[in-house]
Amino acid sequence: MAGSLIGAVRRWPGRGDEPRPGPAVVRLLLRVAAVLARRALLLAVLLAFVFAAVELLPGDAATATSERGESTADLAERRHLLHLDRPVPERFREWMTGLPTGDLGTSAHGEAVADLLARPFPNTLLLGGLALLVTLVASVALGCWAAAEPGGKVDRAVSASATGVLALPEFVVAVALMLVFALWTDWLPAVTLTEADGSPASWKMLVLPVLALAIPQIGWNVRIVRAALADESTAPHIETAVLDGLPRHRIFTHHLLPGALPTIAAGIATSTGMLLGGAVVVETIFNYPGIGSVLAGAVTDRDSPLVAGVVAVTGAVITGVLLLADLVRAWASGGRT
Amino acid sequence: MTVPTSTAHPVPPARRLPGRRRPAPRVLPALLLIALTLAGPWLVPHAIDVPVTAPYAEPGGDAPFGGDQLGRDVLSRVLAGGRELVVTSLLVAVLVTAVAAVLGAVSALRPAVGRIVERTADVLMLLPAVLGILLVTLSWPDGGRLAVVTAAVVLGVPYAVRLVAGAAAPVAASGYVEAAAVGGERLGHLVVREVLPNLRATLLALFGLRFVAAVYLVATAGFLQIGPQPPAADWALMIRENSAGILLNPWAVLAPGIAIGLLAMSVNLAAAALIPVTGRKAVPAL
Repeated sequence: MAGSLIGAVRRWPGRGDEPRPGPAVVRLLLRVAAVLARRALLLAVLLAFVFAAVELLPGDAATATSERGESTADLAERRHLLHLDRPVPERFREWMTGLPTGDLGTSAHGEAVADLLARPFPNTLLLGGLALLVTLVASVALGCWAAAEPGGKVDRAVSASATGVLALPEFVVAVALMLVFALWTDWLPAVTLTEADGSPASWKMLVLPVLALAIPQIGWNVRIVRAALADESTAPHIETAVLDGLPRHRIFTHHLLPGALPTIAAGIATSTGMLLGGAVVVETIFNYPGIGSVLAGAVTDRDSPLVAGVVAVTGAVITGVLLLADLVRAWASGGRT
Repeated sequence: MTVPTSTAHPVPPARRLPGRRRPAPRVLPALLLIALTLAGPWLVPHAIDVPVTAPYAEPGGDAPFGGDQLGRDVLSRVLAGGRELVVTSLLVAVLVTAVAAVLGAVSALRPAVGRIVERTADVLMLLPAVLGILLVTLSWPDGGRLAVVTAAVVLGVPYAVRLVAGAAAPVAASGYVEAAAVGGERLGHLVVREVLPNLRATLLALFGLRFVAAVYLVATAGFLQIGPQPPAADWALMIRENSAGILLNPWAVLAPGIAIGLLAMSVNLAAAALIPVTGRKAVPAL
């Protein structure tokens, strides 16, 4: 009994005495380096994949944006401007080496993609970051509430609502929220007004877009949190904690959640992609000044280099969040794999 | 104190959720809705491309949901506007499930293939599906619906393969598959005759989950105007076109919104009911 209790406490890193601190630190650093290298490699492969997709699919940026009556000479000139007349390996090298320095290529209209994204992208990051935070807090809180009484009324209600909302497209949630909270009750603004620097004028304008993004992801993550807690609650150290008569909230914060943390972190990190993808859609509904409006223009102009640039930046952001989740897992497993 | 389950028994048996053993009542709403959607274009009271009311007319008379931005009957357009979404999503779900079934079984039998699939899924996790579909459709301007389907399949397969490979691993390690392999059966025979027949329940559930994901993706593509083009009747496109007049006739936006919501929810309910209960793996993977 005592042995398993100590084992339970040791699961929470930072508690108890670390045996052999020197090698443990080295091991941790090595693990962090390996995780970093792996994530960087995956991102590089994604960027190569993006280049290949744009390259191999029929049609290029110059012909896609051509207007009627344009002469072949004009077309050739724009091709030259976009560097499309250069050999593929050279352009591939240019694309891959430009990205780390912040050069995201040239849009179909000859502007630097990085300049086009410089103002809207931070707004999208703000929206996505807030939605990620709301998702994290709400899904952990709801998941714990549901797990407090397995099979009870709350558990069933939370699980059923989560299953109901997780498959809803964000634009459907957004339109419903807008109708109820902006148009019928007039509590929150339906459109985003911007300051001179292009940022949203008031925090109120962020509420509805953040909710529209977060609600489906909360549904998704509540189920992950709930399942991770259920898995963890069958572990022997939880039994020990219950038999020792520890208060319930303490069992949650000190015994259940630490064990479930890696699964929860991985789930939330996976939501980042969905949030950033959904942001594109939600932004157009609320007229939010983010990459959504840039991409809407790209759809009309058939501007594939611009989309490739957005994919590259988004991939880098998601890589960062997944890296955090990796580190949480490495930290929570405390030396074990 | 009800945090952990009974402490008297060492390991509780697999948790059984109520209703999991009889999926029929949970699958029925989705089937009915899909049937209605497919039959919808034959049930329309008015032509979908001819104005019958004033623009954004309120519900009344022979237009129970009012008119849209050109005065076309909203009810007729809602009835007609789901078929393409459902057909495209079904096509995507069938293709993803079929490809994933074969690749997943091969991954379980040949670990080298499994590792490649794992890495591909890791890479595609960095590409939000919405952006991926934009990338493919814009790089392939003449692709039309084929481009949307291709993008949705490519983006969906790696996750689906992971799920199948996980379910196929215990089957691939079982004695009769090993016996068949030692007996000199080819890989194709092992996949089709030995492994996949044992994964019927998993594949059915996977099909449901992929259909949910496809509805999300195809509807979102429609909303971003890379799917059906005006004057076609399409739920997602209707929401976009009519949102300017949302105060004049909210039904022009609400009706297609509710239709997409009901479709997504009912199919998700059905898919959740189809997931085989396997004790530990309570987390489904889309």
